[in-house]
Amino acid sequence: MVTTIARKEMTEMVRDGRFRWTAGIVLALLAGAVLMGWQNYREVSAQHETAQRVTREHWLGQGTKNPHSAAHYGVYAFKPKLPLSLVDQGVDPWVGVSAWLEAHKQNEFKYRPAQDATALQRFGELTGATVLQVLIPLLIVLLTFSAFSGEREQGTLRQVLSVGARKSDLAAGKALGIGGALGTLLIPAIMLGVLALSLASDNGALFASVPRMALMALTYLLYFGALTAVALGVSAFVRSSRLALVTLLGFWIFNSLIAPRAVADIAKAAYPTPSAFDFSKRLDAALQEGADTRNRQLREGLLKKYNVDRVEALPVSFSGVSLQAGEEHGNEVFDRFYSGLWNTFHQQEQVHLYSSVAAPLLAVRSLSMGLAGTDFAQHAHFATAAEEYRRAIQRELNSEITANAAKVTGAYVRGRDLWERIPEFSYEAPGTQWVLARQWPALMLLTLWTALAVLFASVATRTLRTE
Amino acid sequence: MLETIHLTKSYNGSKALEDLSMKINPGEIFCLLGANGAGKTTTINLLLNFIPPTSGTATINGIDVTQRPLETKKYLAYIPEQVMLYKNLSGLENLEYFTALSGAKYQRTELLCFLSEAGLPPEAAEKRVGTYSKGMRQKVGIAIAIAKSARVLLLDEPTSGLDPKAANEFSELLKKMRDSGSAILMATHDLFRAKETGTRVGIMKHGRMVAEMRTEEIGHTDLERIYLQHMHD
Repeated sequence: MVTTIARKEMTEMVRDGRFRWTAGIVLALLAGAVLMGWQNYREVSAQHETAQRVTREHWLGQGTKNPHSAAHYGVYAFKPKLPLSLVDQGVDPWVGVSAWLEAHKQNEFKYRPAQDATALQRFGELTGATVLQVLIPLLIVLLTFSAFSGEREQGTLRQVLSVGARKSDLAAGKALGIGGALGTLLIPAIMLGVLALSLASDNGALFASVPRMALMALTYLLYFGALTAVALGVSAFVRSSRLALVTLLGFWIFNSLIAPRAVADIAKAAYPTPSAFDFSKRLDAALQEGADTRNRQLREGLLKKYNVDRVEALPVSFSGVSLQAGEEHGNEVFDRFYSGLWNTFHQQEQVHLYSSVAAPLLAVRSLSMGLAGTDFAQHAHFATAAEEYRRAIQRELNSEITANAAKVTGAYVRGRDLWERIPEFSYEAPGTQWVLARQWPALMLLTLWTALAVLFASVATRTLRTE
Repeated sequence: MLETIHLTKSYNGSKALEDLSMKINPGEIFCLLGANGAGKTTTINLLLNFIPPTSGTATINGIDVTQRPLETKKYLAYIPEQVMLYKNLSGLENLEYFTALSGAKYQRTELLCFLSEAGLPPEAAEKRVGTYSKGMRQKVGIAIAIAKSARVLLLDEPTSGLDPKAANEFSELLKKMRDSGSAILMATHDLFRAKETGTRVGIMKHGRMVAEMRTEEIGHTDLERIYLQHMHD
C-alpha cells in the first residue's frame, strides 16, 4: 500500500515540469559544488605536499648558522585535509590550514582564503554543505507543502479516503515518494562525490573515511527526514496550501538564514572574543612583563649553582639557558591566553549546539563540519600539535646552545647535522571516535528533532480533515 | 445493506440533519431530493465518516461507520458531483491507483475491461485525466466502483452538469449495478431522472426527511407536484 502511494507520488512529481526544472537546477548546483570542492581539495593537497617538502628542504639547506637564527628561520606546518572536506570546508577558510613555527611566538594561522576573498565571495561560496543544508531543504518544502492541503483543495483526498485508504499509509507513502524523488537527485550526486573522493585521495585515506562518510550520510538523512515530516505535518494541519507554503517558507528562512546569524551574534555577546589587536597587545604585555627580573634571577641562580662569579665562567652557555627560560615563560603565557581564547570559542560552539533545539540546521552544521574534519575542535587539535612541535624544536636548539656555545670562542654556528636531528612534522588527524565523543550531543539533538517531527506529522495526519 | 438510525448532525446548535432513519436494501436506488442545504450531502458525509454524527448511527452492511470506518469502506464507492482524479495520471493509472488503495489487485487488461464497461472510450484510457471531460471522469468513478464490486454506492449529484446523453448513459450504468445487487443512495436535483432510475425517492427539507415514496406508485407530474408542495411550505 505504502509503496503504491509512493510510486504514484513520484510519477506525479516526475511528470510535473516544475519539479523537473527545480530538480535539474539543484542537481547541477550539487554537481558543481562537488566538482569545485574536488578541485579545491586537489589543489590544496598538492600545495601542501609541495610546501611541506619545500619547507623541509629549506630547513635542511639553510646553511651554517647559529641555532637560534635557525629557530627564527622557522618552518611551516600544514594541516592535512580529509577527503570529506571537499563536501564541507567548515571553518578552514577562516582559521587557515598552515602554521608558521618560529622562536618565541605561537603564531596565528596562515592560508586563510577568507582573508583575501571579497565580501561577496564570502557569502556566495558554493559547497556541497550549502546545497545540502540550505537548498535541499527548500526543495523539500516546495515538494511537500501541498502534499495534503493540495489534495484536500482538489477533492482527491475525499476520493482517496472514500476507497478506504489509511491516513497513516498516505503520510508514509507521501514521505517515501518525496524521499524517492530526492533520491533521484542525491544518489547520482553521491556517486559523483564518491568518485571525486576516490580520485582525490589514495585508497587508504578513502577507506579510512568510510565511517565518517556513513555518519555524514546518516546526519543528512535524519535532517531531510525531519524536514519532510515537518512539511507533511504542516500540510495536513493548516487550512490551505497557501498557508502551508507561507508557514514552511517562514520556517526555512528562520532555520537557514536567520537562526545561524542570530545565534552567532548571541554567542558572541554571551562569550565575547577579544579583537585581534587587543589580544596581541595584551599577549605582548604578558610576555614582556617582569622580563628583567626573571633574567636577573636566572643569572643569580646559575652563578650560585655553579659557584662562579660571572657569566663567562659558567660551564654552560647563559644565552642558551636564558633563551629556553624565555621560551618556557612564553609557553606558560601562550597556554594561558590560547586556552582562554579556545575556551571562549568552545563556549560559543555550545551556544550554537543548544540553539539547534530551535533550528535543526545548527546541529547538522556542527556534525557536518566535525565529520569533514573542518570544525574548530579539530583545528585546535592540529594547532596544539603544531605548537608542541614548535616547542620541541626550540628545546632541542636551545639545549644545543646551552651545552656547546660556551666551549667555543667567537660565534657558535652549526650546520645540517643539527637541522637533521629535528624530525619532520608529522600529524595524525583525530579519529571518528574522537569526533563522535564531541559531537554526540548534536547527533542526539538531531535525532530528537527527527523523532518529534515524525510524531507531529503522525498526529497531524490522524486529525486530517477532508475539507 | 445501508441503514441510518436517528442520525443527527448539528453545527453550533443548528441542525444540518435531524433524526434521519432509513434503510436501503440490495437492488434498490434511493434518490434524495431537496434544495441546496437540505442535508443531502451531510447524509453522505456522515455515511463516509468524513464528519462525526452528533447522535444516532449509520451502518453499512451492518457495520457501524464510526466504529470501523476502514472496514465499511470496503463495501462502498463514492461518486461526487465531480469525480476528482489526479490530472497528471491517465485514466487507467488513476483506476489502478484507487483500486490498489482499496486493497484489490488487477491485471492491466482487467482494468481496461472495467473502464470500457463504464463506457470510457478505449483510446481515452491512456490519456492524462487533465484532458478528460466531466462525463469521462464520472466514468472512471464508475469503473472504480465496478472494480471494487461495491455493494453500496453513495452518489452526490453525479449527473449534474452532464449532457443528456452522458446522463442517460450514467443512469443505465446505475441500473446495471442495481440489478447486480448494489444498494445505491443518490442525492440529485433531477426529478425526471429520480423517477426514471430510482426505486424510491425521499424529499428532504431543512435537515429532515419530509416525504418518502416508491417511484412505481407515482407519475412524473405527481412527483413534481409533491416536491413543489413541500418546497413552498
